[in-house]
Amino acid sequence: MKFGNLLKKELRELITKQAIISMVFTMLLLIVMGQIMGGAMEEGLNTSTITLCNQDDSPFTADVLKKIEASQTTEINYVTFESDDYAAELERLDIKNAVIIPQGYGESIVDKKEPALIKFVSKMQSGGITSSISNISGSEVIKTIQSVCTDEILLESYGLSDEDVELVRYPLTTVEYTVNNGRTAEVSASALGSITMMQSMIAPFAIFFLLLMASQMIMTAISTEKIDKTLETLLSAPVSRMTVLSAKMVAAVISALLNALFMIVGFIGYTNSMMSGTAGDIADAANGMTAPQINMSEVTEGISNIGQAMSELGLAITPLSYVLFAVQLFFTVAIGLSISLILGAMATDVKSVQTLVMPIMITVMIPFFITMFMDVNSMSAIFKFAVYAIPFTHTYMALSNLMNGNMLIFWAGLIYQIIFFAVCMFLAVRMFTTDKLFTMSFSADAASKKRGKKALPNEQ
Amino acid sequence: MASVLEVRGLSKKYPKKDVLAADGVSFSVDEGEIFALIGPNGAGKTTTIRMISTLIQPTGGDALVAGHSVVKEPDKVRENITYLPDEAGAYKTMTGINYLEFMASLFAQNKDELDKYVERGKAICGLGDRLSDKIGGYSRGMIRKLLLARAVMTEPKLAIMDEATSGLDVINALEIRKMIKALAKEHNMAFLLSSHNMLEIEYVSDRVGIMTGGKLMAVGRIDELKERYEAANLEEVFERVVKNNEVR
Repeated sequence: MKFGNLLKKELRELITKQAIISMVFTMLLLIVMGQIMGGAMEEGLNTSTITLCNQDDSPFTADVLKKIEASQTTEINYVTFESDDYAAELERLDIKNAVIIPQGYGESIVDKKEPALIKFVSKMQSGGITSSISNISGSEVIKTIQSVCTDEILLESYGLSDEDVELVRYPLTTVEYTVNNGRTAEVSASALGSITMMQSMIAPFAIFFLLLMASQMIMTAISTEKIDKTLETLLSAPVSRMTVLSAKMVAAVISALLNALFMIVGFIGYTNSMMSGTAGDIADAANGMTAPQINMSEVTEGISNIGQAMSELGLAITPLSYVLFAVQLFFTVAIGLSISLILGAMATDVKSVQTLVMPIMITVMIPFFITMFMDVNSMSAIFKFAVYAIPFTHTYMALSNLMNGNMLIFWAGLIYQIIFFAVCMFLAVRMFTTDKLFTMSFSADAASKKRGKKALPNEQ
Repeated sequence: MASVLEVRGLSKKYPKKDVLAADGVSFSVDEGEIFALIGPNGAGKTTTIRMISTLIQPTGGDALVAGHSVVKEPDKVRENITYLPDEAGAYKTMTGINYLEFMASLFAQNKDELDKYVERGKAICGLGDRLSDKIGGYSRGMIRKLLLARAVMTEPKLAIMDEATSGLDVINALEIRKMIKALAKEHNMAFLLSSHNMLEIEYVSDRVGIMTGGKLMAVGRIDELKERYEAANLEEVFERVVKNNEVR
């Protein structure tokens, strides 16, 4: 009963209305960001309007433009440039970019049989991602014009049939194979990479947030109780210190899980929206196709092919892998909580809590970024062991190790974490059940004063 | 009258400190008695109180609360005491009533007992409808009243209070002093107080112990001490005891 009441009290302290609002807000922010980004990419990549200034009156150019219009995938917005001052013209016409087909373009191709000049003018925009996307879309437009021109040349100048033109354009079909751990599957390595990256990014993000949230929560919970002296009141009541301690830890785990859940939902929403913008590329690569038209059934087929290929390659995450990962995650959070408990008990004011949270943040962030951008095993021996010495590293690498069958590294990491947790928990319990809880202290002000005093002789 | 608290040579030495924070402190508090520990800052009052409250462990001696040793049976000791620290706060996200219920749940053995404690707490704190408000919106005085009610609602054998009336205005402080006296007299509760307010101590306490430099220098009834130190009031007694100790 006492544990239940203590847990209820801790949860009430941690999961406040404000905390829930902030969790929901973060989740929605991520989803909305994903939609904005995905939308921008989709719009950029599938833009259907070309702003075009046609200064050439040749029949060839007229035919090309007719074909582009007839394709119904691209709409042409015709404009007329009155001068060669492109800046003034873009400003006057209030457009971001334009393709200019100069006088003599058609003639050059048809009569002289040589490549002709085409101009693309675009306005420099803000440094945002959407601005670079708009430039990508410009080059896509030129590619479209080029492609239609090629068809026209082949059809008209060389008298080829539509089928021959298709064959010239796509003379080969690729079938890609990927090899992993001695197994082979019919799948593109780049498509597989996109999917595994998505998978392997969500887990570290969840671990990252879970650890930071849980650590900060327990640290704040302990330090606030100590600073407000509610801890003294609580510990002089007929309830064992271990009960108080475990209620705090369980509450921190529950609220951290809740936080992580909101964060993951938001993150999945973000990546899904982003993926919808690039799903076509994945389907393309999966099927080894290069056809310009993609429909959703092909996308789905492509993704399900990848799923099957991942199983064939032994890259699919099995239920056992999930269980092992959950065990490791449990010990990771437990390590974070026990360290935070010790650090939180040392705080004497709010300022010192902010300083004391730094060691946790650093040890959570270093392996997060290292494992995301680098291969730990390819680092020099000293760095490798330094990174492996941080217990959280093993959790970030767990899914990848489980997927790739690196079981020796996985088990070594898990055993190391269990030992690390046992030591931290022993120290935390020892501190919580002895005088140290009230006698140990760290003051940010005192620490900075001490540093200041040491610095004085050098300054003089 | 039976002793509720028996302190025997209680000592505390903190690591890396040369002097003892409490040095062989001995005194006793009887049922229904109000005993006050007074002394300058750093005299060892809070250390002594914290040892009796089982928050920190003595490095020498022992204290028995209702016959239970703070060293060997701290769990039993906690069943018989309540402790109100100086400048203590309460959980800001809770309402006053939630706080009383939560604290009562740690002491009560069953629902009836819990309800009884909470009802008593509600009556003692005198906060009325404000008990439904979040503690975050309370004034310092309101928090202190709530904490005082919490400390006595379970009618412990020994209530330990560090600066019981700090943060309260004159009227409220007077009410609290009267309440402490009434609880001691009518409910036979023993109080161990610590305070800097000599007027309050003189009004409320049956006996006082004057501490300085970690040692309990004088113990006795206020009139006895006044006579012993040829002083007109407790402030003068205090001054003489502290100065005598400084000369030595």
